[in-house]
Amino acid sequence: MIQLFHVSKFYDRCAALDDVSFRIDKGECVILTGPSGAGKTTLLKVIFGAEIPDTGQILVQNRNVARLRGRAIPYLRRTMGIVLQNFQLLPKKTVYENVVLPLVIQGVKRREARKRVVDVLTAVGMDHKQTIRTGVLSAGEQQRICIARAIVNSPILLLADEPTGNLDAALTVEIVELLKRIHAQGTTILLATHNQRVVEQMSGRVIHLQAGHVVIDEGATS
Amino acid sequence: MRPLYLLREAMTNLRVHRGNVLIGIVTTAFTLVCFGVFVLLYLNLKNLTGTLQGDIEVVVYLDPGASEQVMSLVQKRLRTEPAAVALTFVSKEQALREFAEQFPEESLLLEGMDGNPLPASVVISLSPRFLDTESLGAFAERVKQLPGVTHVAYSQDWIDTLTLVVSYFELGAVVIGTILAVSTVTIIANTIRLSLYTRKEEIEILRLIGATGAFIAIPYVIEGTILGAVGGGLSLAVLKGIVEFFRLELSASGWFMGVEHMLPVFPKQVSFLLVMTGMLLGCGSSVLSVFGLMKVRN
Ligand SMILES: Nc1ncnc2c1ncn2[C@@H]1O[C@H](COP(=O)(O)OP(=O)(O)O)[C@@H](O)[C@H]1O
Ligand SMILES: [Mg+2]
Repeated sequence: MIQLFHVSKFYDRCAALDDVSFRIDKGECVILTGPSGAGKTTLLKVIFGAEIPDTGQILVQNRNVARLRGRAIPYLRRTMGIVLQNFQLLPKKTVYENVVLPLVIQGVKRREARKRVVDVLTAVGMDHKQTIRTGVLSAGEQQRICIARAIVNSPILLLADEPTGNLDAALTVEIVELLKRIHAQGTTILLATHNQRVVEQMSGRVIHLQAGHVVIDEGATS
Repeated sequence: MRPLYLLREAMTNLRVHRGNVLIGIVTTAFTLVCFGVFVLLYLNLKNLTGTLQGDIEVVVYLDPGASEQVMSLVQKRLRTEPAAVALTFVSKEQALREFAEQFPEESLLLEGMDGNPLPASVVISLSPRFLDTESLGAFAERVKQLPGVTHVAYSQDWIDTLTLVVSYFELGAVVIGTILAVSTVTIIANTIRLSLYTRKEEIEILRLIGATGAFIAIPYVIEGTILGAVGGGLSLAVLKGIVEFFRLELSASGWFMGVEHMLPVFPKQVSFLLVMTGMLLGCGSSVLSVFGLMKVRN
């Protein structure tokens, strides 16, 4: 599903990623940990094509992301769901409008889109708030909407960067439970977090980054 | 679902930036009014030149000693000229009578002479198609070559002047048009850029969920095009107002009484041209300002 070969990324000669190699198979749940500044966000960014690695190759579903042209990036992203720490919602639009957006972009028919949105909103327990503007929702609710939007076109891969970073302990548990449920339904998950509680609760393969190096990889297969 | 979404987004942009959009519209309208005034002046002037030239007479003087045969030959020859719309033959006797009528005092002078010293002539009314000096000159030169013709008279000065003015207008229109177009494009592009800027986060989100550059850009291009078209429409209204005002003033003053074709013209094509130019300016400037969106990676 994802393969990294000797990936390095430098910011002003300072390595954010330094010779990172690993492989994630379909259906795995991988937790990327490490202190702040270790390179977790950078690693996710090279995977979804927001950054180009300076060296190395990245295969995502058999596409070489490191070589992908800018025009192909949107199509890569349509195959994955992305959840970030700061909720990335359109605050003036309703829950429904936010979640349906990936489907609008892909030109999914209205009726089909409505059905899928209702399904994912039910899955994240937010179907009763469809017509509410996301700006007035609580933090936990907003993150659930983000997750709903990320899974609305049934991606095989879900990338999450500190999805609980802005949430208190109780809400964090909620989100972790939600991610576990999504994983249980067959979605491959790559979750970056520096929160040890999340690592414990998620119970998956852990890749530990430090200063851009992989220092621990529990499930290393290569 | 997608076209509707894109149109709605464009409308939202227009609504959110009402103030700037209004400035953009007014600027576009101002540009197009200036442009339109120029076009209208030009067209009216050209129209006027044509009209006046229809009235202009070229007088072909014939050799006083020319025989009847030669004179009718000249007339026959002149009738084949495409430029000549009307021919009037003025015989020696007629010329004398007209002279005596116009200048009663001087007619005594003529009485002292033996015979009639005035030549016969042919007065030609020229078609407005012969607008410029060159073809008029060529025409006069050609006529002069005919046997029995002594000389050809026409007043060239004011035609020259008008032709010159018209050509200055053409040059001026290009220069002023370019300056105004550039400033309009700048202002519309800035309006669009502001739209882009205030929706920066939204654009980031759209990218994150797999929107293509085109998908993100289209609402802004629609926004610019609508802005330009509305500006064009506004300029049309203003220009119609101006023209109507002049029409009323002119007919009230009675200067051009009964000369309908002297009143300002406002061809349909000009209306079309204005709105189209507005749309093109708006579309072009927004394309210019969203161009960056098409290639950025993240
Ligand atoms: N756009 C950037 N420009 C310069 N340095 C950056 C940029 N993004 C990240 N970095 C640096 O790269 C390193 C890794 O950052 P990041 O991947 O965000 O770490 P993490 O997500 O693990 O906290 C940090 O030292 C950070 O300062
Ligand atoms: Mg980070």
